[in-house]
Amino acid sequence: MTTRTKETGARAATAPADKGGEKVQGKTPPLPPVLDSLNTAVALADPDNWEIEFENARFTEWFPRGEEGARELSARIPGMDPGRAMDRVEKGRSYRFETEVRVGPRTITLQLEIRPFQGESGKVVLLEGQNISKQKEAEYMLDSYSRLTERQNRELEKEKERGERLLLNIMPRAVYEELKDSGTTTPHTFEDVSVLMLDFAGFTDMAISRDPGALIAELNDVFTSFDRIVEHFNCERIKTIGDAYMAVAGMPEADPEHAIHLAKVALRMRRFLEKRNHTGAHQWRCRIGLATGPVIGSIVGIQKFVYDIFGPTVNIASRLETLAEPGQILMTTNMAERIQDDFVLRPLGENHLKGFGAVDVVSLEDEAREGR
Amino acid sequence: MKTSLFERIGGFAKVRLIISDFYDRILDSEMLRSYFENIDIRRMIDHQTKFVSALMGGPVSYSNEQLGRAHHHLGITPDEYAEMGEIFRETLEDHDIPLVEVDRLHAHILALQEHVIGGAPAETK
Repeated sequence: MTTRTKETGARAATAPADKGGEKVQGKTPPLPPVLDSLNTAVALADPDNWEIEFENARFTEWFPRGEEGARELSARIPGMDPGRAMDRVEKGRSYRFETEVRVGPRTITLQLEIRPFQGESGKVVLLEGQNISKQKEAEYMLDSYSRLTERQNRELEKEKERGERLLLNIMPRAVYEELKDSGTTTPHTFEDVSVLMLDFAGFTDMAISRDPGALIAELNDVFTSFDRIVEHFNCERIKTIGDAYMAVAGMPEADPEHAIHLAKVALRMRRFLEKRNHTGAHQWRCRIGLATGPVIGSIVGIQKFVYDIFGPTVNIASRLETLAEPGQILMTTNMAERIQDDFVLRPLGENHLKGFGAVDVVSLEDEAREGR
Repeated sequence: MKTSLFERIGGFAKVRLIISDFYDRILDSEMLRSYFENIDIRRMIDHQTKFVSALMGGPVSYSNEQLGRAHHHLGITPDEYAEMGEIFRETLEDHDIPLVEVDRLHAHILALQEHVIGGAPAETK
């Protein structure tokens, strides 16, 4: 809005015309009265003693004469460094500085310039002063506002990280990066991975017979511990469905020892539950199925997407999990072959698995002890 | 995403002019200027920038408690508060803010009165 500024300007320009414009006796010739109507403060001083010889109305308004009637420029102007001013003027150069003065209710910021001036009747010291309050106000405002937006940016950054963490909970980082960069992801085949499927024997009955809220809290607790075990062996939790837990080893980054790592995960999970059952309110008995082979990993869904894995390897792990007795860990023979040096295994012979027919099944008993 | 008034009227570029003008008008007001005469202009501008930005849904917000803490000790009277509201209203009008928004902001200012000048919280009285 410009009207306002103009009004203020016009009013200010005409107001104190009668106060200044005074010709103090000295070397300077009479100056035109137009100087008094300026919005700029103008003063002339004697370069020998720096006493003011002329000041226009604006100068008088901004730097009123004190009671003692001091005539030196520096006595009238707060914030002026007389030594530096004299030094500059002697060198024929200018001295610029900012100062604040009170005019009525306002504190205004002035920019002053003092420099030598060669007049017709000799050298004088010329002072010019401009009101830069509006500029300063804008600067302060900008400072204030940029601090606000910087803080807001930091908060947004935190928010973004929170969102990223959430997404990384449901998909591998590599897939997340792909989604972020291109907006879509393509399904990937991972040729050599191991899959773990786990669920709890009698979970539905547990939930019905007890306080369901407390049971879910316990389940959450158990799954959180599973997550730590899975992470510890550089495996990935894919998802949980109800009381079922699914993890994978060897993807998205390939891991030549994925079968060994996932077998260790399975044993740790079982051991964790055994320990927990000594003190816990509920008895948690898990069934685990393990399988090795290729899987396809992909994001499913658009708004509510999940990262999931597909393929016969996943299905067979799931069948083995169903087949397992509570507390048992079952796996396919191709997986057993890869880990037999490091684990105690027990072949269970052929079992009929739905969709696969007769399949040789092996039970994972324990880790092989050193020296055995 | 729903845009805030702050964004709709032109963001900081516009709000900056309103704040500057508002500050000028308050200093011109016989009734209000005494509150602002001896204040550090940097702090004053800082507060007004934040407050007006907050009012319009800019990148900051104030709680009623914060407003109370900042003003209770000043002893502002209801008349003075109303004058401030009126000046704010006129400033917005003169900056061509849509009337419906002016009314809304003015009403918002009036609604904050009890928090700004309401005296000490009841339980400490």
